[in-house]
Amino acid sequence: MARTVRFRTRIINTIRGESGSIGTSTLRFVRSMDQAPVGLRGSVHDGATLESIQFNEEIQGIVASAPENASSFTALLELPPTQAVELLHSPDSDGARKQPNCHVSANHKPYLLHSFGGNLTFPSNAALIERAAKFSVFAGENSPSQGEARLLPAGSGSNLDRVKNEPQETDSNPCSTQGCVSDPAVENKNERTAKRKEREKKVKGSSKKSKSVADETSGDGEKLPYVHVRVRRGQATDSHSLAERARREKINARMKLLQELVPGCDKDVIILYFRVISGTAMVLDEIINHVQSLQRQVEILSMKLAAVNPRIDFSLDSLLATDGTSLMDSNIPSMVTPLMWPEIPVNANRQHYQQQWQFDAFHQPLWERDEVNHNFMTPENSLLSYDSSANSASLHSNQLKMEL
Amino acid sequence: MRNINSVKREFLKKWMWGIRKYSSQKKNMSLLERKKAIKLSADLAMASTRNKTTRWSKALIANASKDGNNKVHTEHVLGSSPPPRRVRKSSTNYSHGTRIRSCRNTWRRNRAVHRPKDRSVASFIAKKLVQKRTRRLKSLLPGGEFMDGVSLVEETLDYIQSLKAQVEVMRCLVTASELMILNPS
Repeated sequence: MARTVRFRTRIINTIRGESGSIGTSTLRFVRSMDQAPVGLRGSVHDGATLESIQFNEEIQGIVASAPENASSFTALLELPPTQAVELLHSPDSDGARKQPNCHVSANHKPYLLHSFGGNLTFPSNAALIERAAKFSVFAGENSPSQGEARLLPAGSGSNLDRVKNEPQETDSNPCSTQGCVSDPAVENKNERTAKRKEREKKVKGSSKKSKSVADETSGDGEKLPYVHVRVRRGQATDSHSLAERARREKINARMKLLQELVPGCDKDVIILYFRVISGTAMVLDEIINHVQSLQRQVEILSMKLAAVNPRIDFSLDSLLATDGTSLMDSNIPSMVTPLMWPEIPVNANRQHYQQQWQFDAFHQPLWERDEVNHNFMTPENSLLSYDSSANSASLHSNQLKMEL
Repeated sequence: MRNINSVKREFLKKWMWGIRKYSSQKKNMSLLERKKAIKLSADLAMASTRNKTTRWSKALIANASKDGNNKVHTEHVLGSSPPPRRVRKSSTNYSHGTRIRSCRNTWRRNRAVHRPKDRSVASFIAKKLVQKRTRRLKSLLPGGEFMDGVSLVEETLDYIQSLKAQVEVMRCLVTASELMILNPS
């Protein structure tokens, strides 16, 4: 599944990059991811649960080393499993905020021990990395393919056995050509390639929808040759919805990342959060901005009008005589552009408008000096208060007043 | 919706009329006074174009009448005899609603909100975001404090339209005035 694989990459990167306190947050994530009880492993009918369980193991292995040396992935893998488990639980007991956390991880313990089986000899470093890589590739493959998900069975405790059966599984997995990796970076690359391949398979698998639906609902069947896109029964299967679903899953991946960052929450929490962010809150923000800008424009324009006319007697006749009906219906700025700089744009941005208003104020005194206005005066006292030419302007206007 | 040009024309007419009334009272007003007069007349004109069909216009007029400085002018502009009745009625309506609703709002806001557990954290956050913004919008809108969510959006829509018309008319007037300055013929 794209989201899990991508998410895993991020998790691993985060863990590698951080130290110390990652343990608690990841553990919380683990707990949240592993909502499905352990008993589910017997009948895996949901790939998400399955891969979450897989992922759990991996993440717990990673987390175990977090307290000591979070940056070294390979160092983690060198830990014997019992020690890893203990390490897992020690940060857990320290950092766990809530009781359920400890409780759940306590549940994990027997599961882990069981999964790690009797012979706890961890394979060599390279093999472990291989295993991790395989898991990631596997998970990438598995989620689209319900059938292959069954490969990690029922006895998902036998994951370690699976490690032993690596070559076979690697072979059975058509995509895991990157069998031998000895580098975490390569592992990332694997995941990425896995993602890519899985996306291709998704496209391919669209034509085999019916089978996947059948598989989904039947809940059995071992190895199926096709890779299926996860289609729920009754969902539309045309290309639009496919793209839509792909997009949605990408979004879900992001949400998972968010979920990791926000502590102590589970899946649908983040979905709700995300929807709100992209929905109502943003729309309301836009509305508020718009209303504020309009109100501000009204203020500015009224101030400007007040500045233009010393006695607020707008003689409508003269105004209409000059402009005619164009006053109402057309944009005056088109006529004014050659005369006035800067032009007041029709859809004025807040900042633009204010800037231009200031420029306008600067320009007014120039025209004022050139022409003597008979009908109107342009004192603009307050506007030019910061301008050195203010004095001259006010003097000029006073003279005009006295004349009139 | 309403024809924007007819709205603009109506607004301009009423606005000019209001301004003339204002200037007939006082001479030689300062810049700020002029600006206030202009703005007030514009607001009143805009509100009256809706002819009290919308809540924001009613609230606008009510607020203008309540404010001591504008009261006289408002009554002049809107007509002398009706305003007292109108003012009284609207003021009583809004004062009653005001007290109750503001009390309730403050109480709701100041109440200590306990942080809910996992599953409702997101809804909690979401609700908080929306509430914050709604509160802000209500503060912007005249008379918005007393509206519920649905009517708030409708009123906002209408208000934005009226504001847009107002801004356009004012802008035209400004440019026309400046044109007149340049061509004093």
